[in-house]
Amino acid sequence: MKKSKIYPWYFAAGALLIYTALSVIPGIIGIGYSFTDWSAYSDELHFVGLKNFIDVFSGDQDYLQYILNTLLFTVVTTVAKTGLGLLFALALSRNIKAKNFHRGVMYMPSVLSILIIGLVFTSILNPKNGLLNEGLRLIGLDSLTQKWLTDPHIAFWSVMGVDIWRGTGYIMTILIVGILAIPNVYYEAAGIDGANGFHKFRYVTLPMLKQTLAVTIVLNVLYGLKVFDMVYALTNGGPGHRTEVMYTAVFKQFSQGLYAAGTTISSVMFIFMVIVGFFMIKILTKDEVIE
Amino acid sequence: MKKRAVAALLCGVMVASTMTTVHVQAADTTITVMASQDWVYDAEMELGKKFEEETGIKVDYQIVPADQYYNNLMTKLNSGEGPDIFGGQSGSFDIVSQYNVEKNAVDLSDQPWVETYDEFAKEQTSVGDKVYGMTYYDVSTDYYVVYNKKIFEENGLEVPTTYAEFEEVCQTLLDNDIVPIYEPCADGWHQTMWFTEIGGKYEELVPGIVDDLNNNKIKFADVPELKEALDQLNDMAQKGYFGDNYLSDEYTDLLMNLGSGEYAMALEKPGQISAIAEASDGKYTAEDFGMFVIPLLDNEVYPQHPCGPSRFIYSGSEHQEEAKQYLEYIASADSVQYMIDNCDKIENLPFDVGQTPSYTEETQAFLDAAEKEGTVFQDSIKYLNPQWTELTQDIVSMFIGDMTSEDVLNAIDERRATQAEAVGDENWQ
Repeated sequence: MKKSKIYPWYFAAGALLIYTALSVIPGIIGIGYSFTDWSAYSDELHFVGLKNFIDVFSGDQDYLQYILNTLLFTVVTTVAKTGLGLLFALALSRNIKAKNFHRGVMYMPSVLSILIIGLVFTSILNPKNGLLNEGLRLIGLDSLTQKWLTDPHIAFWSVMGVDIWRGTGYIMTILIVGILAIPNVYYEAAGIDGANGFHKFRYVTLPMLKQTLAVTIVLNVLYGLKVFDMVYALTNGGPGHRTEVMYTAVFKQFSQGLYAAGTTISSVMFIFMVIVGFFMIKILTKDEVIE
Repeated sequence: MKKRAVAALLCGVMVASTMTTVHVQAADTTITVMASQDWVYDAEMELGKKFEEETGIKVDYQIVPADQYYNNLMTKLNSGEGPDIFGGQSGSFDIVSQYNVEKNAVDLSDQPWVETYDEFAKEQTSVGDKVYGMTYYDVSTDYYVVYNKKIFEENGLEVPTTYAEFEEVCQTLLDNDIVPIYEPCADGWHQTMWFTEIGGKYEELVPGIVDDLNNNKIKFADVPELKEALDQLNDMAQKGYFGDNYLSDEYTDLLMNLGSGEYAMALEKPGQISAIAEASDGKYTAEDFGMFVIPLLDNEVYPQHPCGPSRFIYSGSEHQEEAKQYLEYIASADSVQYMIDNCDKIENLPFDVGQTPSYTEETQAFLDAAEKEGTVFQDSIKYLNPQWTELTQDIVSMFIGDMTSEDVLNAIDERRATQAEAVGDENWQ
């Protein structure tokens, strides 16, 4: 079988059709609705031009703050999850004792429901009787106790911390697979050439892991941009509106029956994510070799 | 022939199995009741079990945290996936603008319990002459400042009648290492009552304010008294009268914290006083607690709160008849008395079925002492109750310095305008 054979387009027709019907068309219709005053309170639909978009980007509403929060969440969690995931993947792809146990423990948070994590961490992070502060008090570190989810300066970082804790194991697992797929001969050759551990990582592991890292980064960025449940479960946007992100705003608009406003924010995010996703894949896979 | 006989037999078996299935389904019907936290008490769930024993209809209570309830419910209703029975605050304006009951709820006017239903509660759950909901909540009393008499005596304090006196009381308590007020902000509803419960005082200070706000002649931001009330509330938070952890404090811990003597006051219904005493493990008795009205703006007007958590049957429900049976069951004379006898918070229910209310002497004396009464703002002002969750978030934003009292009032006006315009209210055209 020729490796360079290009399959005819209709092989993908089924998948494309389903994807178009379930994702692309609703997305485009949504963009259409964001130019109307669609709401739960009236059966009539009026064209309102760019009014909804102006509302989103005007300073009157807090949406700009929500956009910044979403971007901050995306950047911080992507960097932290990828960095920590890579660190753990490197450690746990070596022959260490109880390797599978450690991998299992690291991966476990990602299989838990986010709502359950939210409930558990709300209790752990309670400033008065939560496990974390009680533990800190027990070892005499009272000065480090914080109002983790209600202090306006800390709350969002706590949310990001919990999300990093949850997501690192998942990224680690993908990266372990990537690391294990690197043929050992490269390391042996590098070793013969006098490369130390760091050199092997820098010149063998990292370049060979680029594709896997690209996938994990794209996954993390898109997850970060559409984050909703973690924020909803831990703070519901609070204290005040400090931890509000775009999709908690969308949820609140929809639940108030203001569909057009909700759809507008969704549309903005949809376009933004398509652009970000497209360019990220383009940049991260530019050196990919086509066989 | 043989084949035909086998086919006929198989058909017969299929029909019989279908009938059996239908029978089993009827016996196994489960109705879902979705409500906000603290809207369904344990006593009602016990009634639900009795109802199941008598009718075979199971009741599944889906209780949602208060700060997420409204968003959650409306998402379900707006997407056509509502529960069989949904909870909602009554209010003749709001049940239309907020829950769109004419579309989302079933007309209950012909139900037998409507004859015994309190007239005022009926009015607040009706649109025109159609009854859409049943208020299942004690609307005969409201939230007052419940205070610990012993702590007051030990610190030489008197019941405050003005805001200045109230501040003095709080400061004295704080100076003596007692947290003045337990204010559970984490649930996302309680703190807003300080602002809205003194609707009678607003009307006294600004005559005609209710009509003017409802007719869009004035806005919240135009009324200095409303700003002053918010400023006083903010002041209480900033001066530490709510303690250090008020943003994390939860309503479910109110009884315990007031019972422990760590806190001296809290906004609570009089029926809960016995539960507070119980939670104190013998430290206090019910007689050790008293009540006074919220003293912001020197208020002395007793709040009237005819609206409360109510039950509506979802128009898209497949079990409307079973849901109606449930409502009929909980509104029966036995059930109403059961609720009064087994739930501290319920001293009476808005039905006339010959029940005996359970007001204590203290409560009765307190209610009898009312010289002035006025309706709370969330019941009298259009488009205010539907934004309770957002308003509560804004008040927290004010506490943490992200918003000023003016910002909070402006945000109220904006949300009212958005909703009024969406409904097509001519006063906002």
